[in-house]
Amino acid sequence: MEGATQAEQFIPAGLAALGIEADEVDLAVIGAVHQLLWPPIVELLAFDTAGLEPERCPDLSKAPR
Amino acid sequence: MSGDPLDLGLRAQAAAIAAGELDPAELLAAALARIEQRNPALNAVVETFPERSREMLAAAPAGPLHGVPIVIKDEWPLPWRAQRFGAAELSAPTAPGESGPYRALRDAGAVIVGVGNMHELGAGSTGNVSVYGAARNPWDTERCPGGSSSGPAASVAGRLVAGAIGADGLGSVRFPAAYCGLTGLKPTFGRAAMAGHHMAPVTNMIVSGPLCADAGDCRLLGSALFGEELAAGEAAGLRIGVVRDPVSEDVAPEVREACEGAIEALRGQTGGEVREISLPDLETAAVAGILIINSESMSGTRPGQLNALHPDLSPIARGTLKYRMLLPAAATVQATRVRTMMRRRLADLFDQIDAIAWPTIPAPAPPLEAPLVELPSGTVTADQANVRGAALANLTGIPSISVPVGLSGEGLPLALQLQAAWGRDELLLDAAEALERANGRRWVEALPPLAQSSPAEA
Repeated sequence: MEGATQAEQFIPAGLAALGIEADEVDLAVIGAVHQLLWPPIVELLAFDTAGLEPERCPDLSKAPR
Repeated sequence: MSGDPLDLGLRAQAAAIAAGELDPAELLAAALARIEQRNPALNAVVETFPERSREMLAAAPAGPLHGVPIVIKDEWPLPWRAQRFGAAELSAPTAPGESGPYRALRDAGAVIVGVGNMHELGAGSTGNVSVYGAARNPWDTERCPGGSSSGPAASVAGRLVAGAIGADGLGSVRFPAAYCGLTGLKPTFGRAAMAGHHMAPVTNMIVSGPLCADAGDCRLLGSALFGEELAAGEAAGLRIGVVRDPVSEDVAPEVREACEGAIEALRGQTGGEVREISLPDLETAAVAGILIINSESMSGTRPGQLNALHPDLSPIARGTLKYRMLLPAAATVQATRVRTMMRRRLADLFDQIDAIAWPTIPAPAPPLEAPLVELPSGTVTADQANVRGAALANLTGIPSISVPVGLSGEGLPLALQLQAAWGRDELLLDAAEALERANGRRWVEALPPLAQSSPAEA
């Protein structure tokens, strides 16, 4: 319920801030995607990578240097 | 020659042409005829261009694929056709042109016979959404063929052609290979031709890759895409890593049984060993992959463009494109840190093992009308379930291959995924061939009902 309320605020506010129009169908799809994706995004943001040395301009064709 | 040449594999077609036993003009005509016969049931090929194909054949050099018909995914421009990406509209500009895969095929002597259907905007693992309508699985036309390279896979599984070019940004070669009972290679990032793809300048995730009946055919078609010969070797003493993780355990029981059996068969065939390895945070890696590719896909898109989307874009695509604009930049940066972490973990692991094995798909192809899968943890969308095991290779750049390892109780293909260190694509092909030998090529030679010739075709 709380998540739904947050989405009700976040999605229209975010879209409006960017000037993106959305009809009812758009909002229903966006709400469904948000419900699936947002919790893991929050978990990702909370994931501890503090001690990790960043890989500058990684070459994905090779093992990390 | 006796028998229908379209039922031969890619190597056999190429060899028969090279030996003068098969007329490539007749093979092209036969492929076009078979597309007419079988494609209505599959919707695998969305466009043919017989004149262009004949011109390509007339100009074809005596390369390793001389005269062999190939289907290419609707993801690259051709000199006579812009890609549509399975959608009514792309936010990126497109135009006809010579893409990298087109040049690779042309220079190898191949003939592009048609464009393969794909999941709209490449944004799905099922292939049931496309501006052209859903592609269908030759093993059961009411089931998903897998996505996003749905048409290329259904084309090969339905024996319209013996080889097809797909693309893989988050499993999009491997899922349809698995659902359709094929072998599909996701190359090491940067090794296979990608020029001309509308995301090529910005992506660190997407690669082109071959879909064929078996690993030998993938080696031949992959060599063309790579621009170098993928030499065959032995996967002797293969050290196989397996994980205790939902990617290998939260899967349908018949998937687990088939994959465990295949891993054991591969170990026995190569005289190798199976080791349990630790590779934590795979779900975090999957989210990181989703975030990065979604962010890459919006490169150059202005918010105002999203207010004038083509009316024929699906509601899912319209909503998803708008939602992508709301993804937090901090999360995408964090995703790149997770990428680094996983790359380092893999580099350490590949000092100890040669390949990591787990199921390509956690459950067989779901119904087109409701692409949900039942896992021990519950019922989820196929997309949610599939991405967990596929994202790691795209996120980190390593190569990966999907190989058929059995059929479900309902007669649908099951598949094992093998992943190796950067640049070891050849080892994956060697391992896949070893597995084929171990099971007597039973699964790579299995034909779906739709590909078994009817009397009218014989």
